[in-house]
Amino acid sequence: MKDPYQFCNRDENPGEKIWDDINRHLEELSSNEIIALYYRLRDACTIAGGEVYYPNIRHLHATPFEREKDRREQRRWIQDKKCLSDVVEWYREARDKSCIWWLENHIIAKHSFSSCMSCGACTALCPAAEFYDFSPREMMTLVQEKNEEDIIEFLKSEKLWYCHQCGSCKTKCPRQNSPFGMISSLRQLSQLKGYHIESLRGRQQYFARHLWGGNLWNRACTLYFRNPLPDIHQDFGPRFATYFHHKEEFMKRIGAHPDMDGPYSGRKVAPATLDELRRLWLAGGALFLWSLIEEAAQKQAQDMNVSIDEYHLKVKTEG
Amino acid sequence: MVNYNQEGRQKLWGKYSKDIPGDHYFLTFSCILGSFYPASETMVPGIYDLLDVNWKTQYESKSGWSCCTAIGYHGDIMPIEATLLTVARLWSIAQDAGMKVITPTCVTSFGTYCECKELLEQEPDLRKKIKRLLKETCDREFEIPEYLAHVSDIYYHHREKIKKHFQYGLTEAKTGRPLQVVDHIGCHYSKLFADKYSLGGSEYCEVLSGMVRAWGGENIDYPERRHCCGMGFRQCMIPPNRGATLSNVYKKIKSMVPFNPDLILTNCPGCQVFMDKEQWAIYEVTGEKYFIPVLTYQELAGLLLGWDPYDVVGIDAHTVPVEPFLDKIGIVYDRKKSMHVEKTGSCDE
Repeated sequence: MKDPYQFCNRDENPGEKIWDDINRHLEELSSNEIIALYYRLRDACTIAGGEVYYPNIRHLHATPFEREKDRREQRRWIQDKKCLSDVVEWYREARDKSCIWWLENHIIAKHSFSSCMSCGACTALCPAAEFYDFSPREMMTLVQEKNEEDIIEFLKSEKLWYCHQCGSCKTKCPRQNSPFGMISSLRQLSQLKGYHIESLRGRQQYFARHLWGGNLWNRACTLYFRNPLPDIHQDFGPRFATYFHHKEEFMKRIGAHPDMDGPYSGRKVAPATLDELRRLWLAGGALFLWSLIEEAAQKQAQDMNVSIDEYHLKVKTEG
Repeated sequence: MVNYNQEGRQKLWGKYSKDIPGDHYFLTFSCILGSFYPASETMVPGIYDLLDVNWKTQYESKSGWSCCTAIGYHGDIMPIEATLLTVARLWSIAQDAGMKVITPTCVTSFGTYCECKELLEQEPDLRKKIKRLLKETCDREFEIPEYLAHVSDIYYHHREKIKKHFQYGLTEAKTGRPLQVVDHIGCHYSKLFADKYSLGGSEYCEVLSGMVRAWGGENIDYPERRHCCGMGFRQCMIPPNRGATLSNVYKKIKSMVPFNPDLILTNCPGCQVFMDKEQWAIYEVTGEKYFIPVLTYQELAGLLLGWDPYDVVGIDAHTVPVEPFLDKIGIVYDRKKSMHVEKTGSCDE
């Protein structure tokens, strides 16, 4: 692609052809070109009936183009060290410390555990334990025993990822422990240490990092209204497919703002707001965590001899 | 009932009750509800206006909307500090707007706001750090809010006032029979900080059943009423894990069916999605066709108010058709307005 801007004058609709072209020719573009092109396309708008609509956002979300733009842009944000904080430093140092140190120092781990009498109330109520080989009771015993090797083995296991994060266990624990908080803390640790890629369900975090992380970074939401594609969610039935294919029309009808300026569902988030949030997520350690997930995935993709986009598809669909 | 000590019951109930202010609401929106049932959000300002209360949300570009990041937090891609900062920013905007009650439309947001409030109250050093980082990164300041109320708390609080505007009741038009309703409160409303923040705690779910009783229906306390819907964040949103969600919905549906419910009423956007949509998957997998209508409390209120089922309440977004429920109540509607009738010729499946 000789001129990346050839199809996208700000006031013109670039047409359908450009999207395949961009995704195919990403390697030919510099970081500056990729980032500039993305925002030029994102902010191109049409105005009809006094309402401002951004027709390209639907084509940009969840694409190889967006993922590559995010990788390069986030690397820059971290390298520039703008708003790097003591939070990030804490997590960076925690990587080299023991799992037991983590249990005694991570704020969520500390708030989740006092002592466990192994009554099993948590497991009796647990929706994950009912359908998976998973037991919050065993996990709390593991934490109580503080055996470093056993904890590492758990951090590398499938079991770590079965919890639904519902909190049913927290309510009924007679000692006010929170197994769901503890497992959330251990999942953070697994990713900090790169153990998550040892399990099939842990590897899925690469998909999560780009699905939820991509939505946050680009649209300030964890779920974008165009995410649930009917082809992938066939269990939602034919009425959902009809709804999805006419969603924009539906949303406008009930007063929402699909890829438009406005306060309601689907709204395009203002660049000033997004910039503020990105600085918060950098300071709060999110970008650091995403960079570790990215780094681990790139390495594993290389070991598997697949491209990063093939790896993304693999972790999204296997299992 | 007359054999019970009413004064004692009232005192005991105080433990499961919460203080809900009647005014000054700051509305925050949900990414799940906005993605799947957006009308359940666009109707809330209509209710707040109907109640004639002071309320605000985020309109300005610099102080614009963001989600609370809770799906990212429970999906394990957000450290707690990043979520705390995002929530602190939302509270800061609410406080700048002069609104003292934060009212999220999402149960997951509500649970996360409660967790953030608890953490910041119990950890002075963390509170100082989050305040400092919010100031340094975006020049904002915040105080821990005194009141957190889910939007359903507000509907519950004003349920009699809302009822005065109803055109319909929660009864069968032909017989006058009160409709039988099962509620699903949502774990992050009722279980995370049960006694402190939810009406009825985890055992005596009151927030929706209180509306049901006030609006003419009857509540069914079925065995798996409190069981999680299985949404599970990474379980429902990462396609290979969806079986866990489906299994939990199936368990709940099988448990409620013997009680012949006319309606499943939900509090939580995620639960609404899967209690509604997985009924199709159950049909596909087992051949068992339950198709019990599933509504959010905002949709139920909208329908009873006589708001247009298609143009305002947005029932086309549902996988289980809502029209049979409208027929039961006797709600007048124009079937031709259905997107499903227009696009496929039928609104049945």
